[in-house]
Amino acid sequence: MTNFFLQALAEVGTPSVLGLIVLGVLFGIIGGSIPGFTVTMAILVVFPFTFAMDPVSGVSLMVGVFVGGYSGGIVSGVMLGIPGTPSSITTVYDGYPMAQKGEPGRALGIGVASSFLGTIISVAVLVFFGPLIASFSMNFRPWEITALIVFALTLVAGLSNGALLKGLLAAALGLLITTVGYDRNSNLRFDFGIPAFGSGFEILPVMIGIFAFSQLLGNIEKLKDEKSETKKIDTNVSIPYGQILKDMAGQKLNTLRSSLIGSLVGALPGTGGTVANFLSYDQAKKFSKTPEEFGKGTPSGIVASEASNSAVAGGAFVPTLALGIPGDLPMAIMMGVLILHGITPGPMMFEQNPVLVGAIYASLLIGAVVMVLCNLLLVRWFAKISLIPQQILVPVVLMLCAIGAYALNNNLFDIWVLFIFGVIGYLLWKADVPLTPLILGVVLGDNLERQLFRALELNESWLTFLTRPLSALFLALAVVSILFSLYQDRKIQRLKNAAQ
Amino acid sequence: MLTLTKDRALALALLLIVAVMWIESGDIRPPTSWQPYGSALFPRILLVVIGLLSLMILVRSLLVKVPEPAGTKQLITEWFQNRRIILALFLLFGLYAALLPVVGYIAATIGFLVASLALLMGVNTQRKWIINLTLSFALTIVIYVIFRHGLNIWLP
Repeated sequence: MTNFFLQALAEVGTPSVLGLIVLGVLFGIIGGSIPGFTVTMAILVVFPFTFAMDPVSGVSLMVGVFVGGYSGGIVSGVMLGIPGTPSSITTVYDGYPMAQKGEPGRALGIGVASSFLGTIISVAVLVFFGPLIASFSMNFRPWEITALIVFALTLVAGLSNGALLKGLLAAALGLLITTVGYDRNSNLRFDFGIPAFGSGFEILPVMIGIFAFSQLLGNIEKLKDEKSETKKIDTNVSIPYGQILKDMAGQKLNTLRSSLIGSLVGALPGTGGTVANFLSYDQAKKFSKTPEEFGKGTPSGIVASEASNSAVAGGAFVPTLALGIPGDLPMAIMMGVLILHGITPGPMMFEQNPVLVGAIYASLLIGAVVMVLCNLLLVRWFAKISLIPQQILVPVVLMLCAIGAYALNNNLFDIWVLFIFGVIGYLLWKADVPLTPLILGVVLGDNLERQLFRALELNESWLTFLTRPLSALFLALAVVSILFSLYQDRKIQRLKNAAQ
Repeated sequence: MLTLTKDRALALALLLIVAVMWIESGDIRPPTSWQPYGSALFPRILLVVIGLLSLMILVRSLLVKVPEPAGTKQLITEWFQNRRIILALFLLFGLYAALLPVVGYIAATIGFLVASLALLMGVNTQRKWIINLTLSFALTIVIYVIFRHGLNIWLP
């Protein structure tokens, strides 16, 4: 593996790829720092630019966006008191009060340093556990893969804002979308007499349509509801490097714990940065000798928040690369990037594309360094950019989505796919249907059908899914995750009833 | 008269889709000796799951008392009225998609950006017009140059 990593480092170390990582990190930070834009949107906007690139360049650019995006929430969190991304909500709790006390530079510096360390620790987790899980999952046969996909979908559906039925519905709808067009046996399905439906829907326009439209138009609706005031901010920030070093020296355990929580949570399907963020903030408070300082501008709070949400980046790559199952929305899109470049994520990837796996590790590491430099040197510009109004942002991003969808195959039909799924995504979002299970269903649908029928072709008995230990275990876990979600739903309902 | 709530509308719409797709699935080539499960089985399993979940959502929504019974027509009209800007944006995007092959990327994109920025930002001051036009023209050209000359991707 060391050889491959060095080979990958040589490929990633070329000026052009390094330049792409820098661009990716810059765009990621900008995307993460604009409230309501999110890391996922930043990834979707940059995605089309990778179409004409070789896999290493494309993936490096996307990893740059990923790393930058997860750290981007620091700027708006500290300077504006608004989390740029949902995964930086707890950064605001202590970052903003510290800035209000006249120490914005210290808050930003601690956030950036924690973000950097979180990313590095998560890469170590990825390097260690990725190949381990991949080599274990090499023994998976179609029954196990089918059961694992079902488990991942039920887990994500169950974790969707306490709306289990709608989460499961969304996952099934996502799977159904992938059945349009010619199937594995060259039989045509659901074309409704429209020739363009024959080739099915490309994943990218479907994902962009479902996610981007609901997100962007939701932002516009919020603007109408809130009539937000224009914030004036002082962007003249100086970073007290000595003080930050002192602060970080006292946060070794907190940094390590938060990073490990972030990596672990990132590796679990359906969780992501927001869960990691709250979990590690809570743990840091419980372990602290001065818990009363939390929420008033303590460095521990910023460290817990930023180390954990950045550590999600490396952790989230573990199931995507090792099992071919993305855990959250940004990873589902990253998986789309890999598929587009002809790479099938999964256990074989470590054997078939070791250089590319190494390139992902290297890009994460280089991206982390670039992220620190960009954040510290350009903080005042990011603060200004984070004030770009949604009224300008939304049309521009919609246009980029359209061009991105078209550029995929030089096919205008893909823009219509984007539009139709934009309408569907918006309506489902308005009906409180969670969109993450839907998108995950779209990404995993083809593989689920292929594996299910491969299993049935090898052994026509459906009972084999229950007689093979691992397959039975995954299916049992799927049932447990549904039962647990039902229990959670009931608990939430009881609390609601009690509050009324 | 039952009120059309979000959940009821969702469940009814999905049940309708399930019915249409179930009928359409009848056109899929039936199983053969070498494809014993056929191509319709997987989507039909999903249609059953979606149908059952929709029914559960519908039943659950019927068990909840809705305080104010309003007419379905009135509710739908209000829904659309409250989302005029969103609907206008969808319309502009649809127009953009339709015009792209007719007038080409540059004209269609400038048109879409000018119209949608005007819709969202307003056009009541000269400054807003300057921002609108500068951004629309500059961005369209920059994206064209990046795709066409930087990435070698043709735009319509």
